[in-house]
This record gives sequence, C-alpha cells and structure tokens, in this order.
Amino acid sequence: MIPPPSALYSARQEWADVVPLPQYEKANPLAPILYSEECLSFSGVDRHTRAKNPPDRDATDYLRAVVKAGEKSERVLQLTEHVIRLNPAHYSAWQYRYETVVEIQWPLDAEIALMDELADKYLKTYQVWHHRRLILTLSKKAREELAFVANILQKDEKNYHTWAHRQWVLAFYNDDALWAGELDFVDTMINKDVRNNSVWHHRFFVVFQSGVRDGEEDRERVVRRELIYTKQNISLAPNNASAWNYLRGVLEFNKLPMSTVATFVKPYTVPLPATLVDLVDVENPPPGKGAELPCVAAIEFQADVYEEEARSASVDKAVELWKSLAEEHDTIRKKYWEYRIQQALLSV
Amino acid sequence: MAVANPTLRPAPIDAFPTATSSAQSETEKVLLQHLPADPTAPPTLNKNPHLQFLIRNIVQGFPARYTSQDASQPWLMYWTLQSFSVLSVGIDPGNKQKAVDTIMAWQHPDGGFGGGPHQAAHLLPTYAAVCALAIAGRPGEGGGWDQIDRKKMYAFFMSLKQPDGSFLVAHHSEVDVRGIYCLLVTATLLDIITPELVEGTAAFVASLQTYEGGFSSASQPYYAPPSPNASNASNTTPTLLPSPRPPLGEAHGGYTFCALAAWVMLQPFLPVPASSQPHPHPHINTRSLLRWLVQMQGAPAELGGFRGRTNKLVDGCYSWWVGGAFALLEAVGVKVPPAAPSSTPAGGEWDDVDDSLLNRKALQEYILLAGQHPAGGLRDKPPKHADSYHTLSCLAGLSAAQHRVFPSPERRRVLEGAWKAADPEPTTTTDALRKRVFTDALCYTEEEGTETIVGGAGNRLNATHPLFNLTMTHTDAMMGYFYGQVVPRRGG
Repeated sequence: MIPPPSALYSARQEWADVVPLPQYEKANPLAPILYSEECLSFSGVDRHTRAKNPPDRDATDYLRAVVKAGEKSERVLQLTEHVIRLNPAHYSAWQYRYETVVEIQWPLDAEIALMDELADKYLKTYQVWHHRRLILTLSKKAREELAFVANILQKDEKNYHTWAHRQWVLAFYNDDALWAGELDFVDTMINKDVRNNSVWHHRFFVVFQSGVRDGEEDRERVVRRELIYTKQNISLAPNNASAWNYLRGVLEFNKLPMSTVATFVKPYTVPLPATLVDLVDVENPPPGKGAELPCVAAIEFQADVYEEEARSASVDKAVELWKSLAEEHDTIRKKYWEYRIQQALLSV
Repeated sequence: MAVANPTLRPAPIDAFPTATSSAQSETEKVLLQHLPADPTAPPTLNKNPHLQFLIRNIVQGFPARYTSQDASQPWLMYWTLQSFSVLSVGIDPGNKQKAVDTIMAWQHPDGGFGGGPHQAAHLLPTYAAVCALAIAGRPGEGGGWDQIDRKKMYAFFMSLKQPDGSFLVAHHSEVDVRGIYCLLVTATLLDIITPELVEGTAAFVASLQTYEGGFSSASQPYYAPPSPNASNASNTTPTLLPSPRPPLGEAHGGYTFCALAAWVMLQPFLPVPASSQPHPHPHINTRSLLRWLVQMQGAPAELGGFRGRTNKLVDGCYSWWVGGAFALLEAVGVKVPPAAPSSTPAGGEWDDVDDSLLNRKALQEYILLAGQHPAGGLRDKPPKHADSYHTLSCLAGLSAAQHRVFPSPERRRVLEGAWKAADPEPTTTTDALRKRVFTDALCYTEEEGTETIVGGAGNRLNATHPLFNLTMTHTDAMMGYFYGQVVPRRGG
C-alpha cells in the first residue's frame, strides 16, 4: 500500500508542476455539497489552510487536472487511491486508475493486495468489486479468489456485490477445480442461516444455471437430491419464503408439476397436530414441533397444486384456499388472492 | 392498544431463530411503536418540514456527509427537483436557471453527463441530469434542452454496447440493468432510441429474471469459440450462446423495476428485426414476476412497507421500486378485469374503485407512519436519518399508491391522431417506430375518480410517470419538444 500523503497537494513540492482544476468555474452552483475538512484527518496541515482548502476538494482538484492533462504515472496511482479512500464511489477515479495500471504496467499482484483491503472497507460500493474483476481478468489468477470472497461474506452475509462477484468468478473462469467445493460452501452458509436468500439463489446458480458439471450428468438424481434437500430445510423452519421459492424454482426449471411434492406440502397447510409421530421420512419430512402452522407459503402452494389439476372440483378447492389467505392468513395480499380467484374462474 | 390486533402478529420464527429472523423481529418492534395511539386519527403527510428539508439542501447546500455523493451530483439535483414536483411546488425562474447552468457543467465533451464537472460520462448521472433538465430546463439559448449534445450522447451510448445486448454503465465499468434503464429513458425522452441501439437488449433484460420471478443486476454471457478458419478474428462479432446465461445476483427490487421498465420501453422494438439473433423472441414470465412483486409487500406488523429481496427488511425506497412497478404491469399484459358487481367485496367505497394488485392503503400507511422523519425529509425506516434519495423514493411511492396511472387506449388514439411526421419525412418504418415510442410513453394517464388518499385530500401528491418518475406535464413537454409534436392537452 502506498502511504497516504501527509499534506495537501497544493503544499507539496512534487505536485508543484500541476495546476489544480476546480469543479465549478462559476462560483455558485445550485444544490452544492458543502465539502468539509472533517472528512479526513491530516497531520501537519495548519487549521487555516484546511478551512480555506478542504482536503477532499484539494485531492479532486488535482485529479481533474491530471485527467485533463492525460498524465499516467505512479503518482497518479497514489492520487487516485487517495480520492478513492475519500469517496470509494468516485467512479472517474477508478476508471482513470485502471487506465493507469494498464498503461504503466503496474504489478497486478500489488493492485489485488490493495483491492483486498479496499473491498473489506468499502464492501457496498460497485466500483471496488468491478475494479477487482478488471484486474482478475488481466491477471487470470482465480485460485485464491473464492476463499477471499468467503471471508468477506462473513462480514455481510447478504451483500449483493459479493455474491454476484463469486458467481462471476465461477462463471467466467468456468474451471472445474473452482466449482468442486461449491455445494459444500452453500451447505455451510445455509446451515448458518437457512433464511439467507442470497445463498439459496447461489445454490440455484450452482446447480441449475451454469451448465452441467462433472459428476452431475444424471439430472434426475440431481433434481431428486435438490427436492429432498429443500424439503428437509422447510421442515426445520417452515415459514421461510426463500426455501419455498427455491422449491418452486426447482420444479419449474425442470418442468415438473407442482403436484410432485403434494404429499409433502399437505401437513404444512393445517394446524400442527397435538401429538407428533416421530418418524423419519426422507421424501416427506414432517414439520418439527416448533412449527407455526398453517404456513402461508404451504397454503399458496397447495392452491397452485389444485389449480394445476384444472378440473372444476379442484379449482373450487383452490378458491377455498385463496379465500382463506385473503380473509385470514395473508390479508395484506387480499387483492392478489382475489385476482387469483378471478383468473382461475375465468379459465375454467 | 393496537398491538393486541391479531393481524399484527409477528413473522413466525418456528422456534428456529437465525440472524435473518432476529433482524426481522427487531424491525417489527420498532415499526409497531410507530402505530398511532389513536388508530382513527388520519395520518398526515408533513409537507412543510419536507419542503424545508428540500429547500435547505438546494439553496444552502448539502451537508458534508453527502461528500460520498460527490460523484452523484446530478442525482442530488434530480431527487430534489422531482420531490418538489411531486409535492406540486414550482421553482422560481432564477433558481431554475441556476439549476440548468449547474447541470450543463456536468455534460462531458464526448457526450453524456458525468457525476460532477470534469467527471467521466456515466449512464446513471446522464439519466439524472436529463430528467433534472426536464424539470428545470427549456428550449432556446441557456435553457439546457438545446445544449444537450444528442449526437455525441448517442455515440457515447453505442460505445458502451456489449455483444450480449447489454451496456457498460461507463467505460471500463460494470454492466448493470440500472444503466440500461437510464439509457433507455434518456434515449426515449430525447428521440435518439433506434433499433441499432437496442438490438439484443431485450434478450439481455429477459436473461436477468431469476427463478423467484424478480430480476437481478446482470447476467454472464457465453460465446461460441471463434471459428479456426476465420481470417481476422478480432473483426468478427462473437456468437452469443443462448444458454447458459445465468443471472449474477438474486432478484432485487431496484433491478426489477429497472428491468421491467426497460422491457416496457423496448416493446416497440420487438421482435428484434435481425433474424440472426439467437433469441428472436425473448420473453419474460409475467406470472412469476407478479407473484414476486406482491410477495415483497410486508405484513401488517411491518406496516405494509415493501422489502427489496426475499427475507430482507422493508425499506421506504422500495415504495417506489416495487410499489411503483405495479403501474407497469398492464403494459406487459397483466390486467385486473373489472369485477362483476356481485363479486365486489362489501368493504365500502375503497374496494369498489381499487382494482390494483398491491395493497395501496397499507403502503401509504407505511410511508406516512414510518417513512417520515420528524425533522423533515423521508427515510428507509425509523430510527434512520432522512436523505434525498429516500425522500424522493418515498414520495414517488406514496404518489404511486395514491393514483392509478395506466396506459390509456383513448389517450393513445388522441396522440396518434395528432402525430405529425418529421419534415423532411424519414422512411415509413422510422416514422412508425418514433410514433410508437412517443405514444407508448405519453399515453399513461391517471384514471378518473380512482384516487385513494389515506389521511385525506391534504396528503395528495402529483401523479408521476411510471416509466420515468417525472410528472406528466414535464414528460409531455420534453417529449413534445424533442419529437417535434404538439401534445394535445390532457382532459380534466
């Protein structure tokens, strides 16, 4: 890492050749940001200079000047890093940094090391992830990337960019060695929080959306495995929209009727029986004793099973269930359930 | 006390707590404290403090914590100006001119707008700058509209285009459907949308739909290996494989709005004219999309706000991204047929007129009870601060929940009747396409007598265009100007 500068650019000898370029030539923009000196703690800068010339403005004034001049050099890397640390969403600084890295053939390992630190710090910015992707595309070093992502995910287990990045690494390199441990990784994450929808989405990506991997040519077996896995997880915590959506996704993607899992769903649509039978049924795991039933997602699923049968008697049963959702179990979506009733009756 | 109400039951945990359910329970606790002590008292939209918040930002400037938005200055401007518009507050000519001068300092010499002066051009600030100009600008010298370099903007757009039909948001930057939405809005408003520009884009947008029904931010393309006997491989366009084309990232409210709105704006260009495309007829699953959208609305214990992803927390900004998306469903064929009188629920006047698929009343309550910061401005949820982004998202969402805006066949006929071909007349195909884009966009109309305003008429906001998030007046004016049309007055 390049150490952060200790003084304003305007006070530094090595930048004396650059004429800073202010943002606005006209003095009074509407809706200006009131930049503050508080954004950065500078050592060795006297108060007076700081107040007159806030550091964030100072750095961006010099960035605008070097971009205008087209300078690409090591000190530009230092300057862009500085601006990025002040504002990691400053996409122009990232863009210019990338061009500079390429032009001066800056060591890519050093760049990734810096990115390791910045991704950790500024996890929620688009640019920190995209720059990483650009550098990895050049370096083609994917080996340690999945471990890095797994580590970052510990800090924010639903971070959109981090998950998208992991999926990109797998899809872009498409290397069997990278894919090998992925289902185990999904398992670990789902065991941590069965309601983490990002992990369920990742599972779908891994199992169904990136082509058939080695050892997965028997698709029927894969689908059966996924159905059992999902049902087990629903039985642990039945009111989990992520798992129900996954169940629907597996069936639809594989063009299987919803009735495939009708036997499993049924017990979740009624109140929990007073006495639970302790039996192990891998295909149809029953609700556990803490289950809060009936479960809205199960009632909805059951209604879809009935609608799918498309006979008038079964549509009547579906209508009954939708009515119970509209009036009792899921009143916030009353309009939607009524719409479903209307549509089903129109199609009979 | 209202908490005893059985419909306010907390989200079930099934005696299996995880990080997700704990965060959910904490949020429900906080939200329930914002139920009014007297449930019969109508909630009020505190327009005055919100206006003060907006005026303070625009005139005095944004506080230093907005420094992180240094690359989003057009957004701060657009969020603020459009918030005024939704609140039916006009801007004086002096400040309008200042706004135009400020915005024009963001235009990049090679086309498009940047996040501030001398910043690189980027699709997101380009949308924000052009929409801000729709509000504050005008034709003529110094008015902004004629100073937008549309030729260079088009060239900038084309320079971002990828072989899978997507666009980078800026040079060396990421592909993201927000950028595609921003590009399509800008190109539609400014009459620079062409079949060449959007070739393959609809198939890309369709590839973002996940198994849940909502859309993700991007997808990964795969290309056929270059043919060994191609003499100059760098000159040939790679062949996109129809599958796999996996979405990167899960279904998300913001991306879903952008994808759906993009899909609607691309309708005039479907099916794709070039038959060499791998997917001549891309399609989306509207059934699973509708299901996903309604599932994003929170339970009564969450005061009926919207979340942006399955098993995440409600947030005021999704009032617009998800709540506002419902108005686009009719354009993709999802329509509630008028209920037969006998089946009308006996719930009083409200139910008689409300044929929308979201719970409009509950969404308004969330914004009014939890979305307003007592010191002015609107927010994600209590106890968060207000900010410009959430202020507009909540106000636009509230507006979408108050008004039923739909593509009116009657208005379309009026617009078609008034259409004048450009002079000199372009080819018939071009003219027909321009006319279709123009009428598709401007036929959105508020249905008479369907306002449903929680808390009474004092809370009424202006209707906003469901594709652009501009008022109908500003949309009509800008498109009328750039398409060279006289837009017939709207009735009523």
